[in-house]
Amino acid sequence: MSRFFATGSDSESEESSSADEITPKAPGTTFKQSLLLSDDEEDTKRVVRSAKDKRFEELTNLIKTIRNAMKIRDMAKCLEEFEQLCRAFLKSKNIVDKEGVPPFYIRLLADLEDYLNQLWEDKEGKKKMNKNNAKALSTLRQKIRKYNRDYETEIAAYKEVNFGLSLVLCFKTYREYSQSKKLKHVYLTHTVSFQRAQESEKSEKRLAKKKKPKKKERLEEEAEEEGGEEVEGGWEKVKGGAPMVKMFAKGTEINVPVVVKKLNEILQARGKKGTDRAAQIELLHALANIAAENNLGQGIMVKIKFNIIASLYDYNPNLAAFMKPDMWKKCLDCIDELLDILFEHNNIFIGENIAEDSESLIISDQPFRVRGCILTLVERMDEEFTKIMQNTDPHSQEYVDNLKDEGRVCGIIDRLLNYMENKGSTEEICRIYLRRIMHTYYKFDYKAHRRSLGLQAESKSEQDQEESEGEDSAVIMDRLCKFIYAKDRTDRIRTCAILCHIYHHALHSRWYQARDLMLMSHLQDNIQHADPPVQILYNRTMVQLGICAFRQGMIKDAHNALLDIQSSGRAKELLGQGLLMRNMQERNAEQEKIEKRRQVPFHMHINLELLECVYLVSAMLLEIPYMAAHEFDARRRMISKQFHHQLRVGERQPLLGPPESMREHVVAASKAMKMGDWRTCHSFIINEKMNSKVWDLFPETQRVREMLVRLFLCLSSSMGTLSEMFELEIPTVHSIISKMIINEELMASLDQPTQTVVMHRTEPTSLQNMALQLAEKLGSLVENNERVFDLKQGVYGGYFNRDQKGGYQQKQSYNRGMFNHTVVVLWIQKKQLVQTHGDLPTPTYL
Amino acid sequence: ANLQRLLFPLSTSVLLPYFDTSVILFCLFSQVVLKIIKHYQEEGQGSEVVQGVLLGLVVEDRLEITNCFPFPQHTEDDADFDEVQYQMEMMRSLRHVNIDHLHVGWYQSTYYGSFVSRALLDSQFSYQHAIEESVVLIYDPIKTAQGSLSLKAYRLTPKLMEICKEKDFTPEGLKKANIGFEHMFEEVPIVIRNSHLINSLMWELEEKSTVADKHELLNLSSSNHLEKSLQLLMDRVDDMSQDIVKYNTYSRNLSKQQQQKHQYLQRRQQENAQRQSRGEPPLPEEDITKMFKPPQPPPRMDTLLIAGQINNYCQNVKEFTSQNLGKLFMAEALQGHN
Repeated sequence: MSRFFATGSDSESEESSSADEITPKAPGTTFKQSLLLSDDEEDTKRVVRSAKDKRFEELTNLIKTIRNAMKIRDMAKCLEEFEQLCRAFLKSKNIVDKEGVPPFYIRLLADLEDYLNQLWEDKEGKKKMNKNNAKALSTLRQKIRKYNRDYETEIAAYKEVNFGLSLVLCFKTYREYSQSKKLKHVYLTHTVSFQRAQESEKSEKRLAKKKKPKKKERLEEEAEEEGGEEVEGGWEKVKGGAPMVKMFAKGTEINVPVVVKKLNEILQARGKKGTDRAAQIELLHALANIAAENNLGQGIMVKIKFNIIASLYDYNPNLAAFMKPDMWKKCLDCIDELLDILFEHNNIFIGENIAEDSESLIISDQPFRVRGCILTLVERMDEEFTKIMQNTDPHSQEYVDNLKDEGRVCGIIDRLLNYMENKGSTEEICRIYLRRIMHTYYKFDYKAHRRSLGLQAESKSEQDQEESEGEDSAVIMDRLCKFIYAKDRTDRIRTCAILCHIYHHALHSRWYQARDLMLMSHLQDNIQHADPPVQILYNRTMVQLGICAFRQGMIKDAHNALLDIQSSGRAKELLGQGLLMRNMQERNAEQEKIEKRRQVPFHMHINLELLECVYLVSAMLLEIPYMAAHEFDARRRMISKQFHHQLRVGERQPLLGPPESMREHVVAASKAMKMGDWRTCHSFIINEKMNSKVWDLFPETQRVREMLVRLFLCLSSSMGTLSEMFELEIPTVHSIISKMIINEELMASLDQPTQTVVMHRTEPTSLQNMALQLAEKLGSLVENNERVFDLKQGVYGGYFNRDQKGGYQQKQSYNRGMFNHTVVVLWIQKKQLVQTHGDLPTPTYL
Repeated sequence: ANLQRLLFPLSTSVLLPYFDTSVILFCLFSQVVLKIIKHYQEEGQGSEVVQGVLLGLVVEDRLEITNCFPFPQHTEDDADFDEVQYQMEMMRSLRHVNIDHLHVGWYQSTYYGSFVSRALLDSQFSYQHAIEESVVLIYDPIKTAQGSLSLKAYRLTPKLMEICKEKDFTPEGLKKANIGFEHMFEEVPIVIRNSHLINSLMWELEEKSTVADKHELLNLSSSNHLEKSLQLLMDRVDDMSQDIVKYNTYSRNLSKQQQQKHQYLQRRQQENAQRQSRGEPPLPEEDITKMFKPPQPPPRMDTLLIAGQINNYCQNVKEFTSQNLGKLFMAEALQGHN
């Protein structure tokens, strides 16, 4: 308030002195002058402007434009500027809070309101205004009314003081304007000379002159002082942090508190709009160097490193965008160094929960305490790595180069893991373990594989040797996962760990472990509640499990595991290996971005063609025998729709060339299988082309053969021929047949002396069929009836009154009685059927 | 020899409480039975049905059927054939030869027990409406051919008579009448009577006859019968299903409409209340039934008939299978004994 009064008197004094030239340096300059000129003055004089000055200059500029617009009655412009002004004012809020509302601002508000009211009263003038202006006027009037309510007291005070002056105000602004121009000119010339003069002066003197000797200002002041010789006017010096290389005054004793203070200063700029992020990183590096030079101890180093890494991450403002690989590599280096420090010095405690003020960075007997979480940093680093991989073209050399860094990532994770095992809490250990698992589960452990095959040695280099001495990935997985199962409390980490574990088992053909783990986890029941990335992981695991089952010859299991993924036709999407082409209505850009972020990097992909091939072959092995066995069954079901689809497509082709694609191969093979030509079938499935495409690891011939034997038992009877046909040993054939008979897959008996299989064909009689049909129909009937009943009982039943309902229920129960009756009859009759017709073929009775 | 047996359906005692007409017993003279059988053999084939008129008298508490004559099979050619005329003629002629000429019912052959139909219901209703004692006699030729004479007499229950009189077959009507499929027809016990002369002839014949055809006893009648029954049963079950679905849709529609109506009324009421508070006259009453035409209720009588028919089939199948089962067990026992 007091300031405000000062303004009032100032304007008065200005009034008196406006005629003569005012020297800018004169003490007790009127406020108005300072308002208009102070910024310029300070700019030229000190080069660096305080935040307050900057803000106020912005405001005054805006006010100027508003006043101009007022003069030419350009309401639209006025409104626009006013809005900007409000925004600018809001921005400078913290300064305003400190300093109080600037008087010039209040003055403008008051003037503007008066002016608008005046205009508003002037009906004639309003009519003359064009539509735009009139509209702007009314909006502005409303706005300013509302706005001014907050500053009522100030405005009132202003008006009180200025009552007599309000009339002259109009001119005054005008005059001010012209005056300021003049002044500015004069000023510039003056300041240059002033600057020169300064150079010769002692710095202390000038420092003493400073109104607000803020530390930062001073520092920069000093920096400027040193670089002052080259830069004449100092205008250019403001930008960037380049001159900040020397951050401390020469004489300053560099110690921990000073560095920390400096660090905080730099960090305060973080996240602000104007801050140059690259420069910030530079600064931090420089600070780190200074700290290192001065041997300030590891605590401070760690702290600075933390901040460097954090600001590296900050470099990209957008979470969706990925870091540049070189940036990322820098970050990697930093983390490495940080880890080095941490490993070397055992007495450093880091943690998120250490409060800023309880940190102890000074070298002393006590251990260092530094705030920060290395785990988060590493996790972030890993995520960035994934992002980089996602955004690199998987077929380029660049991708390979990037992929090579994975080793380093793993190395860091390993190191961190070691560190955490010693120091971290269980939760942190779980997290880092999961990271480790995530980097391990999809890799096939060739060393272990080779070892298990007994092909130890023949390692080409020493490195290989070294590698093969390491722990088996299976053992590692086992250890890490078990720790997580035991210790983890968040469900998500455990779920991920289980899935990865299963995946790993499946990848290494440990089918039973994988399956048991899957069944034990009960993930099938509740996976749909998990978040999409976990679901993708689940899908990947299921697929891997299916492929594993196939390798092990469990065709049925393979088929079941793959069925869900394959039948939807969206395998690509479900596995997170690419987006399906869909029209834009179904998914907007935002969703697409999210989905893109979920994609699995290319090196973790599962070969979709292999997947489909496995699925189709297993479907074929299941379907063809089924088709043969149920050829005469009217209501046979399809095991795999997709397979049938492929078959149909194959059949529709007018000309059949030799098969080219994987699908064609499968179709051709299934045709051969249908005809009982197992050799052709086999050759179709396993040949050069298919090898090159999908088949590399599956020794499946034996399996195919066995399946075919099963198929053919439906048709032929002599064991000799069978064994000849399939090139199998007679005992093998015998065992297969016996197994089938025991499993009731085959209605037959073996006739040992003649080496034949006696087939008993027992189709259900038409009567039995009919009884089954009837049972089905009755089922649907009962269902329908229940529905009627529900309707009566349920929500809609309200309008029936009681006794009617009772009557109906009675009737219902009659109906039910009838159904029960029918069912009983049916049962009796079935029993009878079994008795009668089951025994018919055997001539023992009668 | 079978004809000699008195056929008392097991259900007689069960059914007795339901009888409230004066007639509790239905005496059939053997010549009537023979005539019916003959009629079928001459004219009926496969699923074709033969019908005829029963003549007789009401004597004390029983109805005696003493004679019958068939309806002639009429083809497309003689469309102008007057059935009523023919019946009158027949009855007059019979009266001339001093035969009971009271028209007490009619008979019909059946194909695997399928007789419960709308046509039967309608004609029996008109009979029973005109002559209270009249019955319908159902003759199953197929069962008879298998060795057990199958003749059953049915009447409509008084309840059903009432419904038919009112011709109200809507769900509501049937609900009010509280009628189930079991209560549609009542079976009347039958006694077959021979004149004494015939009886003595029978005894004589039986003594003379050889035991040659006794081995038929253990013959499991072919599964054909069962299959046919099942087929028919299945058809009916399908019909039933359809009917239920129809009814389901109907009741759903009805309730939906009811809800709409309710909402509409409420809205109207609110509006009126508002208007009243503003002092305006209430909205004119509109004909709600016009706005909300209730959906056409599906006739439920057919469903009831189908249910009855299904019941019938089930009985048949049960009877048949239990007989066969009995035979099987018997055979087993015999074999074990041997």
